[in-house]
Amino acid sequence: MKGKKQVGKEVVLRINGKEEKVFCQPGETLLYVLRNRLYHTEVKEGCGKGDCGACTVLLDGVPVDSCLVLAYQAQGKEILTVKGLGDPEKMHPLQKKFIEKGAIQCGFCIPGQLLSAKALLEKNSKPSREDIKRAISGNLCRCTGYKKIIEAIEEASEKMSNQ
Amino acid sequence: MIKDHLFPKTIEEALAFLKECKGKARLIAGGTDLIPEIREKESEFEVLVDIEKIKKLKAIREESKKIFIGPGVTFSELEESELIRTNAFALSQAASLMGSPQVRNRGTIGGNIVSAQPAADGALALSAFDAMLEIASVRGTREIPIDKAYLDIGKSIINPSKEILVGIRLEKRKKGEGSNYQRVAMRRAMALPILACGVFVKSTNGLIQSARIAIGPVSNTPFRAKETEGFLEGKSLTPEIFERAGEIASEEVNPRDSRLRGSRIYRKGLSAVLVKRGMEGALANIR
Repeated sequence: MKGKKQVGKEVVLRINGKEEKVFCQPGETLLYVLRNRLYHTEVKEGCGKGDCGACTVLLDGVPVDSCLVLAYQAQGKEILTVKGLGDPEKMHPLQKKFIEKGAIQCGFCIPGQLLSAKALLEKNSKPSREDIKRAISGNLCRCTGYKKIIEAIEEASEKMSNQ
Repeated sequence: MIKDHLFPKTIEEALAFLKECKGKARLIAGGTDLIPEIREKESEFEVLVDIEKIKKLKAIREESKKIFIGPGVTFSELEESELIRTNAFALSQAASLMGSPQVRNRGTIGGNIVSAQPAADGALALSAFDAMLEIASVRGTREIPIDKAYLDIGKSIINPSKEILVGIRLEKRKKGEGSNYQRVAMRRAMALPILACGVFVKSTNGLIQSARIAIGPVSNTPFRAKETEGFLEGKSLTPEIFERAGEIASEEVNPRDSRLRGSRIYRKGLSAVLVKRGMEGALANIR
């Protein structure tokens, strides 16, 4: 890189309701910037090409693979990672139900599963089993066989609509 | 290496950026095809010209006799559009079957065409509607039928360093018309099709006036089953005719052997089945 000007600029990303400034280069994925430049390691990198859903975040409320979005494209949008969903002191009903139902095994796909589920419940508070399956169809899980994940989402939706 | 990422607000501005960069810029829409490509290999281009902020490219609307689809419309938006469901049911189905929710939320119908994969669901469905494409360059705009848009696997005649696909148009649905989309893949989500087929039928009094059948991947480009379409003209809408149409389609397609996504023989057989089912579905969709 000797003699070459470093390309890139400071961008502002709104993550979990908080603005974060970060220097990044054009062409860098949102996934890369979230993990490697801002240490949001709760966003997991799986395949890196949109086939597994591990890196799912919500962008203005809709699930996207953060490996298929460039950081520059996320400027001015609301980014939600699983940390924005809730924390151990104040868990989201989805997080509670995932634990209760034993829907988490290795845990790697869970941030993505939770965010896809959250986006579903925002749109449809009483989803059918088919709706749930479809909503998480972009999130691969290699441990659970999905059954407990689906049940956890179903029970969370019931709990949330009874509140 | 990418050195800049621009967000023009109008088509004119985007074209000016492309021109300024003299072939070193590339248009980016949803990025679901392009972004993994940027990561995997050294890109030949240095500047990304993003269409995200160009409102004109993101609309679905009625024109007098046509439906206009902005190429920047995502698969999710297509899937949810009542106008598309009513007028182009096969396209609505194709949009709902492609990829995963995450990919449908970003991937655009325009990108699906420009990427020119022979089994691109959106492009295949549009082919069954004889969609017209409006392409803009600094020299002006031109309109071409979608079937003339493809050169080879992954290569369309739209050069994303010089031109922009600015509009997709289909005829509004008329009485006696129906459409359907069929797709078989290894999994029900996030899998490329082993075979997919878009069918459009125009009929009067139970007789087929014309039919359009698009199948993929059975060739280097989305394939129009012209012999089958010819056979169907003037025939009645009966199971025997649909069966025969399937047989003719399986003769005229030329699929490759894929060790992952089905052998040539299997795909030929499947072509017959999907054309038949597609005809049945289109018949049920006729109003």
